[in-house]
Amino acid sequence: MKRRVPLMMVFVVSLFMVVQNFVPLDEWNWIYQFLLDWTMIIGILSLLLGMWSLWKVHTQKIKRKSENYGYSFITLSGLILMLIFGFFPGSGGIENYWYRSFFYYIMVPIQATMFSLLAFFIASAAFRAFRARSVMATLLLLAALVIMVRFVPMGPLSPIVSDAAGWILKVPNLAAKRAIIIGVGLGAVATALKVMLGIERSYLGRD
Amino acid sequence: MTRRQLATYIFFGVVVILFAISVALKGFFVTFGAFLTLAIFSFLYDDNPYYKFAEHLFVGVSAAYWMCMGFWGTMVPNLFGRLYPPMVGPVIPALKDNPSDPFMLIPLILGIMLLMRLSSKAGWISRWALAFVVGTTAGLNLVRYLRSDFIQQISSTAMPLYVTNSAGFSLGETISNIVIFIGVMCGLIYFFFSKEHKGAFGAGARAGVIVLMITFGASFGYTVMARISLLVGRMQYLLDSWLGMIG
Amino acid sequence: MKHKLRFAAVLLFLPLIFSPLLAQEGEEMQDGLLAEMQIEPPPQAVITVAEDMPNDGGHKLTVRWEFPKEFTSSVVRFEVYRAYSPDGEFVLRGESPNDFYEYLDIGDREEESPNYMPNDSSYYYKIVAVGTEGVSSESEVGGPYKTYGQWFHTGKVPLLIAVILFCIFTIYFVLSAKGGKELYIRPLAGIEAVDEAIGRATEMGKPILYVLGIGTAAEIATIASFTILGRVAKKVAEYQTSLIVPCYEPIVMSVAQDIVRSAYLEAGRPDQYDEDSVFFVTNAQFAYVAGVNGIMVRDLPATNFYLGYFAAESLLLAETGNAIGAIQIAGTDQVSQLPFFVVACDYTLIGEELYAASAYLGRDPLLLGSLKAEDWAKGILMVLMVLIILAVLLGWDAPREWIRVNL
Repeated sequence: MKRRVPLMMVFVVSLFMVVQNFVPLDEWNWIYQFLLDWTMIIGILSLLLGMWSLWKVHTQKIKRKSENYGYSFITLSGLILMLIFGFFPGSGGIENYWYRSFFYYIMVPIQATMFSLLAFFIASAAFRAFRARSVMATLLLLAALVIMVRFVPMGPLSPIVSDAAGWILKVPNLAAKRAIIIGVGLGAVATALKVMLGIERSYLGRD
Repeated sequence: MTRRQLATYIFFGVVVILFAISVALKGFFVTFGAFLTLAIFSFLYDDNPYYKFAEHLFVGVSAAYWMCMGFWGTMVPNLFGRLYPPMVGPVIPALKDNPSDPFMLIPLILGIMLLMRLSSKAGWISRWALAFVVGTTAGLNLVRYLRSDFIQQISSTAMPLYVTNSAGFSLGETISNIVIFIGVMCGLIYFFFSKEHKGAFGAGARAGVIVLMITFGASFGYTVMARISLLVGRMQYLLDSWLGMIG
Repeated sequence: MKHKLRFAAVLLFLPLIFSPLLAQEGEEMQDGLLAEMQIEPPPQAVITVAEDMPNDGGHKLTVRWEFPKEFTSSVVRFEVYRAYSPDGEFVLRGESPNDFYEYLDIGDREEESPNYMPNDSSYYYKIVAVGTEGVSSESEVGGPYKTYGQWFHTGKVPLLIAVILFCIFTIYFVLSAKGGKELYIRPLAGIEAVDEAIGRATEMGKPILYVLGIGTAAEIATIASFTILGRVAKKVAEYQTSLIVPCYEPIVMSVAQDIVRSAYLEAGRPDQYDEDSVFFVTNAQFAYVAGVNGIMVRDLPATNFYLGYFAAESLLLAETGNAIGAIQIAGTDQVSQLPFFVVACDYTLIGEELYAASAYLGRDPLLLGSLKAEDWAKGILMVLMVLIILAVLLGWDAPREWIRVNL
């Protein structure tokens, strides 16, 4: 009951999903759409689990007075305030001023800044790659260099560099990406099949 | 008080005054957005209380944000709106006269099953819901990957190795196609797991690694510029939206 | 002289003064001419057939008709009308150019759509040939024509063959692995390093950080990562090191909790399992990164694992991990993120290697069997590509077409 039913369920549902791909009938498509909608709804409901975990982690930090526990108050206040604004009675939910302000002036700037940190991180990663000692790392570095300087004016060298960059992007780049994608595709299909057949069941836990 | 502490306090005081002026001139939220931007940037130097503040606030607010979005964007129209349409009438009037759909009880039940894992006794029942989600996606992936990552890749790799165009035989394109073909082959050899990479097979795998590394380098170089433009965007926010220094 | 000029000006203006009258008279004359000429309408089109479009749910019909070619120039266009009964209301569905005698009538599947075209229904068509002089002729009503939904999409035959072949391979190798046949699997650098990395953390008395990425629990990369997590957690339990698993997705979190708990149980140390070691951070991408980076710089893990589905956050995580001097083992099937892991991590499992690692570490002969099946599929694919390319070189293009899947 604890394992057999879920495994059977996986088999039946996934088999349907595979077969429906070959059947253009409306009824099948209708069920397919339903299944997708259901998974989406389950996904949203599962957020409650996340909320619970977040709440527990931070309240426990506060209770135990762990290191930096003061910041847990900030997380919890952010969470509670945003939930109150998001479920503001009478405002139709997320259309109210506070919810939008929190989104535009707290979430958006932090999100964009985190993303822009990548500029520094990519530079430090590149710097480390510059000190590369192995042949493979040097190859990686050379290819990166050619691509990076392709728009830099270098007199008579410019057309050569830009041609080389174009060729690298169009030819070896394409070849390797294809090889990876084919491998990933096969691995993904095999994993999906193992899940279907119940061979891969680590996601169900062990007890 | 040491000189270092004094300097810190003075610096802190100046920052507070600057932000107070900014609040008065630009409003609280724009200033707060700028403060959070600087707080995140400060992580580049080291972990510090400002970063910790921004990080913790971000975690709390974003978790609640997605919860609300999921509720109003998915649960209301797709679950409640289909289960009992009159209920969502005040929020989405267009749905209120739709017939109710009892099938939508199933995801609700499965969702509740999933939440049962919070109980130590009935936790096992959450696996049913999990099985449903995993099964649906596994079936979907099986065909999707086979089609897009496998069959389509073969048909696009199987290009003519002898290329002619309007001007006759094209040496450049011919070489490119041959390199692509050999590159894909060697890459695939590298991804063989059940055969030892020795002899000719090993040479093929090594050639595969070379092609992979060139590609990683190219992707890396290609992304550098894109990331720098993100940074420019952030600087513009600080200088323009906050300090009004541009335009 | 002055008079002459005035006279000339008057002459110039005269036609302008009379022009509206002239125009009116011209039109009347033309109408008269037309009436006298009795312009013939173009000949009628003859509907030959309306065929159900194959490989769909039954909401498309291709209407074909015949028309004498010599009259092509006398027709501007054909208009296609459709009705539910021969004497019902005919609605304009679309147009076709004067030299094209076919029209694909596409309806919608949704009942609420104004363009709804139910399947298993009969339809009647009428073609109107619109002539150059504005005179048109209607065809006889053609019909009834039926739409059907099909049980099989014939364009997907190659896909079906691939699915069946792959299933046969996998089942065969899994069964032979079950029968106790020894399967060789080449060593994977990143995986060989797992034990060493956990050992190092134990020696240093520092925790191990395991990041499952930002995919859902059903993402293939996440499933592969679950298996590896099971193995890592077991080792961690044996070595009595601590493990931190911050999660992006609640379902992933609950699965990871189960896996880690089971691993501690298997290692014979269920009491050491700390339920708070696997927890939810948030499901906003960059907030998650901010949180995990914070954990990294504060808890200073000795070893970081990044295995699963990753997007732009890959480099933010890997660089921070690098800065704190952790040993890093990464793996993803996302081609665009692999370069960053390769640059910033000590070991990277590239694409399929991630799945292979999961089978390798699981040490389950059944999982290894499927790895062998993947290799066979790759081998067949390589042979297939060589054959197709040879065929194309010999001027035979057909095989390239065979493997195309109509979506």
